[in-house]
Amino acid sequence: MKRAVKSAYLGIVTLFLYLPLAVLIIYSFNDAKHVVTWKGFTTRWYAKLAENTVLLDAAVNSLLLAAASATAAAIIGTLAAIALKRYRFKGRAILSASMYVVMMSPDIVMGISLLMLFVLMGLPLGFATLFLSHVTFCLPFVTVTVLARLTGLDANLVEAAMDLGAREYEIFSRIILPLAMPGVLAGWLLSFTLSLDDVIISFFVTGPTFEILPLKIYSMVRLGVKPEVNALCAVMFCVTLAVVFVTHFCLKERK
Amino acid sequence: MKKHLVALAAVLALLVGSLPASAADKVVNLYIWSEYMPDEVLKDFTAKTGIKVKIATYDSNETLYAKVKMLGGKGYDIVVPSAEYVSRMAGEGLLADIDKGRLPNLANLDETFRNLSYDPDNAHSVPYMWGTTGIAVNTAMVPEGQVTGYADLWNPALAGKLLLPDDMRTTFGMALKVLGYSTNDTDPAHIEQAYLRAKSLYPAVKVFDSDSPKQALLNGEVAVAVLWNGEAYVTNSENDKIIYVYPKEGANRWVDNLCIPKNAANVESAHAFINYLLTPEVAAKISQEMGYATPNKAATALLPAEVRDNPIIYPPADKLEGSEFETDLGAAQRLYDQYWTKLKTGR
Amino acid sequence: MKDRSLFKTLAVTLTVGWLAVFVIVPNLLTLAAGFLTRGEPEFVLPIPTLKNYVRLLDPAFFEIFLDSVRLALCTTLLCLLVGYPFAYILARLSPARRRLGLLLVIIPFWTNSLIRTYALIAILNVNGLLNAALAGLGLISEPVEILYTNTAVFIGFTYTLLPFMILPLYASIEKLDHRLIEAARDLGAGSFQTFFRVSLPLTLPGIIAGSMLVFLPALSMFYVPDILGGAKSLLVGNFIRNQFLVARDWPFGAAASVLLTVIMGLMLYGYWVCQKRVRKAEPA
Repeated sequence: MKRAVKSAYLGIVTLFLYLPLAVLIIYSFNDAKHVVTWKGFTTRWYAKLAENTVLLDAAVNSLLLAAASATAAAIIGTLAAIALKRYRFKGRAILSASMYVVMMSPDIVMGISLLMLFVLMGLPLGFATLFLSHVTFCLPFVTVTVLARLTGLDANLVEAAMDLGAREYEIFSRIILPLAMPGVLAGWLLSFTLSLDDVIISFFVTGPTFEILPLKIYSMVRLGVKPEVNALCAVMFCVTLAVVFVTHFCLKERK
Repeated sequence: MKKHLVALAAVLALLVGSLPASAADKVVNLYIWSEYMPDEVLKDFTAKTGIKVKIATYDSNETLYAKVKMLGGKGYDIVVPSAEYVSRMAGEGLLADIDKGRLPNLANLDETFRNLSYDPDNAHSVPYMWGTTGIAVNTAMVPEGQVTGYADLWNPALAGKLLLPDDMRTTFGMALKVLGYSTNDTDPAHIEQAYLRAKSLYPAVKVFDSDSPKQALLNGEVAVAVLWNGEAYVTNSENDKIIYVYPKEGANRWVDNLCIPKNAANVESAHAFINYLLTPEVAAKISQEMGYATPNKAATALLPAEVRDNPIIYPPADKLEGSEFETDLGAAQRLYDQYWTKLKTGR
Repeated sequence: MKDRSLFKTLAVTLTVGWLAVFVIVPNLLTLAAGFLTRGEPEFVLPIPTLKNYVRLLDPAFFEIFLDSVRLALCTTLLCLLVGYPFAYILARLSPARRRLGLLLVIIPFWTNSLIRTYALIAILNVNGLLNAALAGLGLISEPVEILYTNTAVFIGFTYTLLPFMILPLYASIEKLDHRLIEAARDLGAGSFQTFFRVSLPLTLPGIIAGSMLVFLPALSMFYVPDILGGAKSLLVGNFIRNQFLVARDWPFGAAASVLLTVIMGLMLYGYWVCQKRVRKAEPA
């Protein structure tokens, strides 16, 4: 009896989490311009979506931005993790504190403070500002992930290398980096996803010359429920689904 | 280490280089009200000229103004402010001069729309569409005849079924009209009264929406909406029980204009696009689809009778009694701004 | 021996420099702007004033904060009440089932919350599914107006943020040492006692982590009230957004942001204190 109750509870909550998405997907096949009443099955919204070059451009832009940001964040974040783990330096407290500040800051506060910085610097809002902002908010997540990986690192290996006279860079590239690589990759993946999903920070620092997908969706969504938007959301959901499955099974194998 | 640095730099350069080149392609960045430009017009333009149109939208003059200021007049090539914002933005040097030499189709404009008070000699703007702000009533939910003017909106029977646009001039204009003042009143005492009047209506409002008010109407979430006539036109074609009423106090009339921000990058493409929009066939098509009136005389002649005679789009003279154009408020703008902020953040 | 490696210098300079420029400076700017005056046509005038913070205490504005905090707290509470049992049951399943369950939670977690918010419109609509279901069950005779109210915003927040509560809770509950629970049972404690005096305190870090992951975003995700809320939903997130992108009152918006950051800081402090106490209480 108790088991049934527990399973039922799990089932209900899961249903709650998935029902709206299911409805969204179903309605993307609805043959009606203004949704809510079912008028027949059609795939024309998907066809329309495929022709929508504006959306496709925005999607490509988002992917490029995410890839660039994730890569830069992975590099800087890894360096930060190594610096925190291995070196003593003056700005150590700043580094640690800043990481916490970024991770815990509400998105909106980060968004407006970066906007003010860019306007002060006279930087034109566009890809550059988006890039700089995305790298910044992804950084701590990479650092934390890599640090977690580094703590398991055998200190003897490093000591041995130092005794043998290896320089810092060699220690980094030949010992630390290869061993920390799974952490770096996980951090990259995390950054990539965070960048793709970001709405709030991007909303403030975006410019007219570089349109990204979440903001495009946001402006479409404000116009109400439309089957085209449903189709777009359904596609994005499927992409997320695929990514989750792939990472899940990939990471499983690595372990 | 140097070897790796070089490799890294190469990868980054590759990534950045693969970004869509903005300067090389011919592009015009349009920043316009949401649902104010048919997709086909954009596609046809690109087909004819090879210039791509990138479109971004806003839902209020305030947002447009804030964004253009923040960007320093850069980024967008065409913006579409209403009349009073044209004079405001031009006054602050945010708009570039229109090169009339590049706009042969300018001659198609109706004379009454050239050299208007807010922009003498069309130095900075070219009228795009004009229209009215009135009241849409869903006669299936509200008996016809119950709403004939702005004053009827305060009827307690309509509480919780009302939609207002997120627009300062509309809200204050409405209140001023109900009080019997002009919609362009600059008397501080009158403005305060209007603020108090509008404030008393606020609890009855269910939604503030300038993006797409027709949604709430069509979904049955609201029964009465103050909105722009084009929205009413589209709503009416989907559901003819939703009618458009010209308020007896007098509807607000407005003109939206095509302008080029001061530091726009693609000035030539912008002019090409504006010239294209002034073509009679194109202007007629836009008017038909969007449900707004075109200031283009040559286009009006091309319109089919059911559009030209449709009172929602082209109001007959008697409906326009008491209506006024929204004009620049000058120094009083500051006061309006303050009351608007108070209204929106107060309870 | 001082290590003068170029690599080290580069690494340190790059990372500290980046964070100094893109984290420290912006936050200082925000703090400073809160004390300056609004300009017209410039954005900010370098005239110091306390006016912005005083305005924040004005009942009209302060109510917005209170409303937002109230909504965020309710959301957090509901997520906790729904999420804890879920995480608990999940953690006790067989490994294979557990993995499946986790996957089912992670998928909405990774799905863009904008999409998930949008998905709710068709459900909460007057002619939408919820009303249809309620009418079908005979619970209501007239459609309930949920969309465009604060209730819709509340549902929206809970829906989008529930996975953010479940995952940290799960991580914490999974680490629970069952021997402790067994020991308590052996000593004669009932289920309730065991839960409240053993399980709950030990999973407190997870509860707090999950609460922070729900409470803070609930304060700043302005697109949820934007899409689901109506005229009545003026919340902190929208408010700050408006100050910067519509009303052009940057100093005022900055002051509000600082207040938000202070709230966050207080929560963090509370978390840190709790963490320390739990660490002390953990068996060696």
